[in-house]
Amino acid sequence: MHTLQVQGVTKQYEKVLAVNNVSFEAQPGRILGLLGPNGAGKTTSIRMITYITIPDSGQILFGGQKVSPKSQEIMGYLPEERGLYKKMKVGEQLMYFAELKGMPKSEARDAIKYWLDRMGALDWVSKETNELSKGMQQKIQFIATILHDPKLLILDEPFGGLDPINSDLLQDVILELKDSGRTILFASHRMEQVEQLCDDICLVSRGEIVVNGALNEVKKRYGKNTVMIDFEGSDAFLDPLEAAGDVRVNVRSTRHAEIRLLNDTPSKKVLQAALEHVSDITRFELVEPPMREIFVTAVTEQQGEQALEPQTEGGAA
Amino acid sequence: MNKTFIVAKNEFMKRVKTKWFIFTTLLGPIVLVGFFTVIGFVSASAIEGGESTIVVLDETDRIAENLSDPEGDMTFTVSDADEETLRQQVLDGEYNGYLVLPAGLITGDEGARYYSTEGGGVSSFNFDLRSIIRNTVRQLRLEDQNVPSEVFEIINAGVSLDTIKLSEEGEEQGSSAAYAIVGGIMGFLIYLTMLIYGSVVMQGVIQEKMNRVVEVIVSSVRPFDLLMGKVLGIGAMGLVQMTFWAGLIAAGTLGSGAIISLFIDPANMDLPDTATQAEVLDAVGFQVPELGPEVFIFFVIYFLLGYLLYSTLFAGIGSAVEQQQDAQSLMVPVMMPIIISIVFLQAVIEAPNSGLSVALSLIPFTAPIPMVVRVAMIDVPLWQMAASLSLLIGTFVGAVWVSSRIYRVGILSYGKKPSLKEIIKWMRYA
Repeated sequence: MHTLQVQGVTKQYEKVLAVNNVSFEAQPGRILGLLGPNGAGKTTSIRMITYITIPDSGQILFGGQKVSPKSQEIMGYLPEERGLYKKMKVGEQLMYFAELKGMPKSEARDAIKYWLDRMGALDWVSKETNELSKGMQQKIQFIATILHDPKLLILDEPFGGLDPINSDLLQDVILELKDSGRTILFASHRMEQVEQLCDDICLVSRGEIVVNGALNEVKKRYGKNTVMIDFEGSDAFLDPLEAAGDVRVNVRSTRHAEIRLLNDTPSKKVLQAALEHVSDITRFELVEPPMREIFVTAVTEQQGEQALEPQTEGGAA
Repeated sequence: MNKTFIVAKNEFMKRVKTKWFIFTTLLGPIVLVGFFTVIGFVSASAIEGGESTIVVLDETDRIAENLSDPEGDMTFTVSDADEETLRQQVLDGEYNGYLVLPAGLITGDEGARYYSTEGGGVSSFNFDLRSIIRNTVRQLRLEDQNVPSEVFEIINAGVSLDTIKLSEEGEEQGSSAAYAIVGGIMGFLIYLTMLIYGSVVMQGVIQEKMNRVVEVIVSSVRPFDLLMGKVLGIGAMGLVQMTFWAGLIAAGTLGSGAIISLFIDPANMDLPDTATQAEVLDAVGFQVPELGPEVFIFFVIYFLLGYLLYSTLFAGIGSAVEQQQDAQSLMVPVMMPIIISIVFLQAVIEAPNSGLSVALSLIPFTAPIPMVVRVAMIDVPLWQMAASLSLLIGTFVGAVWVSSRIYRVGILSYGKKPSLKEIIKWMRYA
């Protein structure tokens, strides 16, 4: 099967340790969310998986084989920084990308037609790329990524710049590919999308893995310690709680707050404080922390530790 | 290799289809010929300098009346006014200058003096004026000694020098001037195309990096294959263009007699107006050069090798920067040898067998231009040819190694413009 295995991989640039002994796996039929702050080493990891660069130590296997020019042909990579040839026509451009992936011309022609039709872009086939809007170019680039029917898909912020309708269309295609057994790596800073799409997550910070595992298990690990409260009236009740160190307020808006309970503070205490001040409570729920919260907690914990060490390591893109 | 071919095919096709390509291929030679014609006319008119009127103060009372310019550009007027008046007239622009012929000129005790607002200098005008005065004075000197005028005619009769190229196969009739022109044009074409195609490659690399397409491409193709594909694809485009132009040069050489004779007025060659083209060409010592096919083959080979060497280096530079302007300072060391070889083009044409010419055509970075000039003009010894070619090919292989190592790091590096030192460091990356 087409499992992606990253085993003890390290990559150093000059004095920067971009990726430090990282190991994780991505399974076919599942979506792995590759998360991490800017400069955490995500792009470096992706470049090693796609065989653009080579690790200093450790190895990367796909389907049990070391990654190579051959494995490149069964991978599709959509980088965060989008790019197409401006002066080339959409059809010619897609044909070129398909040929570079080793696809026979006739097969490529059919696939181009199918996907352009599917993405509602058949009319653009003989247009030059620079005539297209940003969203249209985005769709074309996505087609270029999946045209050759890759076994491994690496999507870095695939929804950036798309309107809700096109986002839904893209999401349908991604889920369809997942269901047909593709291995998918999904890199994003949009935590709500990660929660919607990912089966597993791998969170890296400063070149090291800080959280790794199935999304629901990771959430369980953090326990039900977050209060979601919707209310009418003043949110002033939050201030004394925060000042006393009982809670940390993660999200605070006019009628909604997300509160992390600290030091085993019972949720009842928050409810009581709220009842005294607000005019009405429309929702009060104790939940597992959202992905956003896990991200922030894990990264600050790890970087707090390292902040004490001498700063020889930095982040590399 | 397969991927290299796909990249090369794409680079070739998308460029050959452009208007730019069709335009330059067809119009390139016309522009080039036009360029040389303009230079020819400009320098010719600069040498002739137009017409001038000279007022003469003749203390001998014998010379002035005999002064005349066979080309008719100079008109001489005799004046009795004093030098101060003449001086003022010249300053006022009435005359171009005034000429003082002292009494002792004929005996050689004194020299003639010419005053003009332009002063001295090395111009053909001064040369012509001196020769007019000298001829007149000499004639008077001979007359003073009662020498018959026939003697003067004998002395003045023209002496011509034919230059004939000696080679292993025997004497060739073509004049070396014609070979020099063909060689010069070929060398200049190689200079232009190495720079133009080299910068096309560099621009392509920079654009791919700027567009960020390169990251997608290198997830399908090894950077080395991509680099070679680009260089070869654009090279193939150049080859099509150069082959076309080489054909035109060959045709132009055959028709050169007709072209040259258009620029020559038979009257100037002491020939009747009815002189045939062959007679005119014979009079100026020009014969249609006979260039063997090997000249054109070496022209194409040296163009290709020179292009490959420089475009590979330019691609390496392009990969290191994000904007064309940033490439300028990095290009200077690479451009130096090309500039050196074009600066010495004249020297090579004048002495194709000199130590300098041989050295330049052996050093791989300067070889293409001087070698092509030499091949067109003389029989280059086999050992020089072999040494030059193998050095050039070896250097190209080395350039590919260096550039591809810079390239694979460069195309993915964004942000600060790297220094030369940093670029050299990239070569040591795994």
